[in-house]
Amino acid sequence: MDLNRIVAQSLRVGVLVSAALSLFGLFLWAIGGFRSVAVPNVMSIGDIVRIAFDGDLTGFIYLGVIVLIATPIFRVAVSSIYFAAERDRAYVGITIMVLGMLLFALYSGAAG
Amino acid sequence: MLVITPFEVLSIFLMSILAGLVGAIFGLGGGILIIPFLTLVEGVPLPYAIGASIVSVVATSSASAATYVQDRLTNLRLGMFLEVGTVLGAITGAFVAAFVPPGILLVLFGILLIYASAVMIAGRKTDSPSGVAPDKVARKLQLGGKYFDPATSATRQYEVTNTLTTLGISGISGLVSGLLGVGGGIIGVPTMNLLAKVPVKVASATSNFMIGVTAAASSSVYFVRGDVQPLLVAPLMVGVVVGAAVGTRLLRRTPPLRVKLLFAVLLVAVSIAMILKGFFPEIVL
Repeated sequence: MDLNRIVAQSLRVGVLVSAALSLFGLFLWAIGGFRSVAVPNVMSIGDIVRIAFDGDLTGFIYLGVIVLIATPIFRVAVSSIYFAAERDRAYVGITIMVLGMLLFALYSGAAG
Repeated sequence: MLVITPFEVLSIFLMSILAGLVGAIFGLGGGILIIPFLTLVEGVPLPYAIGASIVSVVATSSASAATYVQDRLTNLRLGMFLEVGTVLGAITGAFVAAFVPPGILLVLFGILLIYASAVMIAGRKTDSPSGVAPDKVARKLQLGGKYFDPATSATRQYEVTNTLTTLGISGISGLVSGLLGVGGGIIGVPTMNLLAKVPVKVASATSNFMIGVTAAASSSVYFVRGDVQPLLVAPLMVGVVVGAAVGTRLLRRTPPLRVKLLFAVLLVAVSIAMILKGFFPEIVL
């Protein structure tokens, strides 16, 4: 399969899913009477999923944010696999370097 | 607790359609419009404005990048190579941001924008000079490419030069992105166009492609820090996707020269707003 198409499709799906989750969060806010939202302190992905299942609008919007942040990271990972299949060593190295830094940002963000 | 009214959410949504549109056309994330709007018009504290902006930048760039990648306008190899610089810069910027007075950064960034617009206007006659010789790195990494321009109905070949300097400046654009919650396209597009000699449409498309990854790096830092307010980010995430869908269709038709002039005018307007905000942080329109 062609890299252009794989990249385009994964970006499109990620963006649309995150926009839909945000829109649903806003919908919950509207039917809940537009009440102000207290932003919870740092939550794990598990916490976010749990409050979303409880029908919490912050849960849905934060799920959208997580899907959105994961979208370009997924795109880099897919490119890396593609270049490995093509035996293009220089670009496998480049994409793995980028992927490593992105995962470091997630990890150190979560740790700090 | 930040009180957000339905009217504010609606106005943020409408503005973000414009930000998505402008972002898609000019290869930006739209943060340069979102941050002035949130801080100047809505009176949102800067950290929350940056947190919401940087997340929506991921949405704008990913939405428009999807279309440009499918149209083969994006130079995937060049983008992935330069991401090494932008991501490193973005992570550094997002961490350093907590220690730097925002006023100083806003003023410096405003000056940088004026410089970029001057360079854009001065170089507007040569969209992509032919006969560019690729440098050693560009040859080794096969960075040259070709694209179909519907505005002129022709396929154009191009080469890439000054590759390592471009990588270095990409690092600086990443740093600005992480510090200020923008995509960094405002530095990346002129650099790719004027220094690396990439045609402006390819530069815009490739910039959009890179910004998604750049902003994802800084977004994760701001998100975990608790600077992403759900009711600020939700209308942005929906609005920029709508705007980007319209903007990607416009770039297909607009001639390259006009793209460049519009870009320069945009740079000047935003730079003035940013410098003012830097000197008078309390300004709210």
